Amino acid sequence: MIRRKIGTLNAWLLVIPALILIGVVVVFPIGYTGYISLTNMNIFNWFTFRIIGFRNYINALFLFDSGFLQSLGVTVLWTALNMTFQLVIAFVMATLLNIEKLRLRKLYKTLLMFPWAMPGYVSILLWRTGMFNTQFGLLNQWLYRLGMEPVRWLAGDVSAFLSSMFVNLWLALPFMIMIMDGALQSLDKSYFESAILDGAGWLTRSVKLTVPAIKPIIGPAVIITLFTTFKQFDVIFLMTKQPGAQTGANIHTVLTYAYENAFITHNYGFSSAVSMLIFLMLISLALLVNIRLRRVAD
Amino acid sequence: MRKNIQRVGLLFLNIFFIALCFGVLIPILYAFSVSLNAQDSLIGADFRFIPRDFTLEHYRAVLFDYPVLLWLSNTVILAFSSVFISMLVAIPGAYSLSRLRFKGSRPIVKSLIMLHSFPAILSMFALFRLLMPLGLINTRTGLIIIYVGTMSIFGLLNMKGYFDSIPSDIEEAAQIDGANKRQTVMLILLPLAKPAIVVTCMMVLIFVWNEYIFAITFMTGASNYTLSVGLFSLQATEMAGSWPVFAAASITISLPVLVVFFAVQRYMVSGLTAGGVKG
Repeated sequence: MIRRKIGTLNAWLLVIPALILIGVVVVFPIGYTGYISLTNMNIFNWFTFRIIGFRNYINALFLFDSGFLQSLGVTVLWTALNMTFQLVIAFVMATLLNIEKLRLRKLYKTLLMFPWAMPGYVSILLWRTGMFNTQFGLLNQWLYRLGMEPVRWLAGDVSAFLSSMFVNLWLALPFMIMIMDGALQSLDKSYFESAILDGAGWLTRSVKLTVPAIKPIIGPAVIITLFTTFKQFDVIFLMTKQPGAQTGANIHTVLTYAYENAFITHNYGFSSAVSMLIFLMLISLALLVNIRLRRVAD
Repeated sequence: MRKNIQRVGLLFLNIFFIALCFGVLIPILYAFSVSLNAQDSLIGADFRFIPRDFTLEHYRAVLFDYPVLLWLSNTVILAFSSVFISMLVAIPGAYSLSRLRFKGSRPIVKSLIMLHSFPAILSMFALFRLLMPLGLINTRTGLIIIYVGTMSIFGLLNMKGYFDSIPSDIEEAAQIDGANKRQTVMLILLPLAKPAIVVTCMMVLIFVWNEYIFAITFMTGASNYTLSVGLFSLQATEMAGSWPVFAAASITISLPVLVVFFAVQRYMVSGLTAGGVKG
């Protein structure tokens, strides 16, 4: 009995430093964000702020021109499009990489990993300056050679959204291809041979056999990617929203929206309310995914 | 006949993949070629991927005309202190959560997973406001505190995942042979977990090296710039800055990360999914 108590005490002693650290650095600021969200703190009320209840939340959710709902819509569209393209393209690529007798498979895989290996912000800045820049970007140089007018890629909402999505796919596909590739390699080949003998074509085999077979294997990675895509900040921020170098496009994901309200327009209370709303959404999304996963497992 | 069709198909597949790899690498190759190009042929239509005249001038400019070495030392200090402190608290914590299951360990793991899904950007202003009166804005200590906090969650979950995957039979066998708890941990478990510890350290290192948003928001003084803030300030726009120098700086900063990444690449996928977290 006493031994067990000492054991539990030991277990707590080992984990408590980490918990204290996380509590102070991560949990407390989240709570403080919650507190700020109930105040009218902004640059003029740095010290003289007062509690105004849930007015910031009401403004974010019901004042249509606050911009939060639009940014939420953009984020949902962004997530849906990115996930669809990622899953389809990664599946096709992984299938092609697994075709027998493809000798240089390893080399291709290594080269295709580069976008994942590069520091993300460096890649995005290289895309912005090297490819999309109106003057010396490669895209406009190609257009120039074809005798066409230069395009301001990042200035319009739609073209900036599509450009950002392209860059995000470029960044995220290597991880997804590797996951799919690993899943395909773990499948039992004999399972498919009988289907080929039965005369099933590639598409039928993919839809009826391969996809259901790899679903449970890629599940966790897909869910993780779903969350990272929803929480994507870097691409849109660095491509269009850099302080002092905005490109004119007015697209926001929820995260860039919260950042802009805190550090550009200095609406601290409002930004904190937005942050808390995003946090609630992430938690509910996580719970929903958990319930569905458990149902699948049962 | 059938064989010929197959061969042609394979040829097309190879051509497809070569074209794809080249296409994917264009932004990096372009930056690399610009960084080595001696001619100022940027705006002309005669741009080529292999420059006619090579020069290392832009790399020289990066290393000596800008305080890159200062930025590097700032980043290295930040990275190593963050790795050291976060692993110092994460390894014992992960061991405790994985091996010494106690009342409360499951809720702790669950709330850690939840916290890990919370993007640090959302509490950035609160952190700013809390660090300000402590005089920690625009200091390395302030950033280290933030990085250590976020990275110990990642370290805890990741290391716990690894510890869970090591069967406890081995430790039990050692205990039957008369080893005490301390010896089993020091002589059996930690050596077995060594690759996992190295990989987790590398991932934290890469995280700090690649982190820019806290750095550009909190580090306002030029003497405190990290590599990411420095690169940020070197950006070329239509108005100012030099694109070749920026390209050279980008390549230089990416090189160490590429080396580390491909060294631990085999463990990246399993490491990212085993603990159920992605850095």
